[in-house]
Amino acid sequence: MQAIPPPEILLQLSLNGALGGAMYGVAAVGLSLIFGTMRLIFLAQGAMIILAAYFVRALFYGLGIDPFLSLLIVVPVGLGVGWLVYQGLFRRAAAEEDRNISLLIAVGLMFLVQNLMTVVWGGNTAAVVTSYTASGIEILGVRTSFTRSMGFLIALAGTGLVVLFLRKTLVGKAVRAASEDMEAATLMGISPHRVNAIAFAIGIALAGAAGVAVATTFPFNPFAGFIFSLKALVALALGGIGNVAGALAGGIILGLIEAYVQYFISGGWTNAIAYGVFLAVLMFKPEGLFSRPYKKA
Amino acid sequence: MLKQAVPKQAWMWIAIAVVAALALLPLLPGAIDSYAFSFLFFVFIYAIMAQGWNLVAGFGGQISLGNHAFFGLGAYTTAILWSGNYLWGSLYDAYPRIYYFDPVTMVLGGLVAAVAAIIIGLPLLSKLRGDYFALGTLGFGEIVKVMFINGGDFTGGAFGVVAPAGTFDTLLPHYLVGLGLMVGVALAIRLLMRSRYGLALIAVRDDEMAASANGIDVLRVKVAAFAGSAFIAGIAGSLYTYYIFHVGPDSVFDLDWMLLPLMMTVVGGTGTLLGPILGAFVMYAVFDLARIVVPDYHPVISGLTIILAMLFLPKGLMRSFGGRVRVV
Repeated sequence: MQAIPPPEILLQLSLNGALGGAMYGVAAVGLSLIFGTMRLIFLAQGAMIILAAYFVRALFYGLGIDPFLSLLIVVPVGLGVGWLVYQGLFRRAAAEEDRNISLLIAVGLMFLVQNLMTVVWGGNTAAVVTSYTASGIEILGVRTSFTRSMGFLIALAGTGLVVLFLRKTLVGKAVRAASEDMEAATLMGISPHRVNAIAFAIGIALAGAAGVAVATTFPFNPFAGFIFSLKALVALALGGIGNVAGALAGGIILGLIEAYVQYFISGGWTNAIAYGVFLAVLMFKPEGLFSRPYKKA
Repeated sequence: MLKQAVPKQAWMWIAIAVVAALALLPLLPGAIDSYAFSFLFFVFIYAIMAQGWNLVAGFGGQISLGNHAFFGLGAYTTAILWSGNYLWGSLYDAYPRIYYFDPVTMVLGGLVAAVAAIIIGLPLLSKLRGDYFALGTLGFGEIVKVMFINGGDFTGGAFGVVAPAGTFDTLLPHYLVGLGLMVGVALAIRLLMRSRYGLALIAVRDDEMAASANGIDVLRVKVAAFAGSAFIAGIAGSLYTYYIFHVGPDSVFDLDWMLLPLMMTVVGGTGTLLGPILGAFVMYAVFDLARIVVPDYHPVISGLTIILAMLFLPKGLMRSFGGRVRVV
């Protein structure tokens, strides 16, 4: 335990925590969409993020495409991959009553992706180092890294687009309806497979966006994804399962908790406390921190 | 209605024949030193774990994603009791092998896991249902792991605990104890599922509200199944300690100890008695074969196998090929 630090340090902690947490948030938004329609805990989300990070790295070192510019490639590819993953792997399982099947397919996909990455790129830690990786910018009088801030912006923009899509478009409404009550939505003529595929496509596209943020900010390795999936789950629970904007906020809160625990207690306990908060939220506020009691999800 | 691929009674006789063959295997010259022997030992451990997961998830309908924590608790309990000699005092000096497959130590390993399951299960199961319970147990597993990493001298921190005896010259006791436990657990579950309690468990799985209306204490039944599952996992962890000797947070709290048994159960047939054993045998054979034949790609093959199995055999081997399987 440390004494109360000066305000600059608190601000620094909060800023770094929030910026880092936004990455969990954007992963959680993807999980939230997939969970919403399919009731599937998509454990492979983290592995998909790392896969995207490797892809970004290959684009940068192979073709010289700037990592942030590669968003224009990664996100559409993610949409396509997500669609294919659903049609190829989950379509049949989605019709089964037993949801273990989809969960296990997700686990199998995680194994597959992790180890394919190891085969292709080796198991060592990789990173993307650009001319601006080390540069910083000043926010509210606190210096922070440029790439982290960009990651935060990507998370905000990604979540914003998803929220707009869900609120303003007819297809988005169908996705929301399906998350609330798949049976009723089906009776209204909404095709479950289409809605599921859309949720998957957007979820993987968001994994792509998160991959850009991860690639530019952290060193990564093929097995870093799983812990990311877990953190995204925590963020998801904090924000309320099914609440898209809440998932981003949940990620930011998780980032803050981690930053504070690391500073005030010790780095070794970060995960335990994060999961402790997760359990507490699941038990006492399973609808998440932000939803009003009368609103279902 | 369904054409029976294998008649009902036949399964029992097949099982008895296989167990008898496995029990007699050590008599075969050279068998004890063969690779198959250690292969089978691991199949037994996984089959026990799978059986434990099947109890709470297959028969009870509560998906636990925290069984690796119970495995680790059993393993740590055994290693700590042994290395600190907390149990047998001066008897240990007289009989240095007293901790080897000592039933008291092993049962304590299971009990520690079961008590942990009750402590965590009561609040989780009274509040959480379905996926939320699964997520909660996943979080619980991670918390236990971090606690053991930060446990100081008692748990040996990130390195873990090393059991005092370092070598064994034969795998025979491991094999026999493993086989015995696998058969024992299966028989115990068979008995259990045919009892009043087993019926209650299945009733809770199929319709909680109807079960409750018929006077079943739903929470008690669920927690008991969770604790039973943890007990079985703890015993498996204890058994593993006698093989590996070095119990560390990354080895015994590895998520694979939850994911692989889960996978084996589903491949074999969730909610069937022989499914977890069959699944453990088949899946471990696939993994091991991949490890030997294509060492660089074996985890890729494992991932692919799970996906293919789930796509084409979603009901599991027992239900797909077993004809009309009598569930218990």
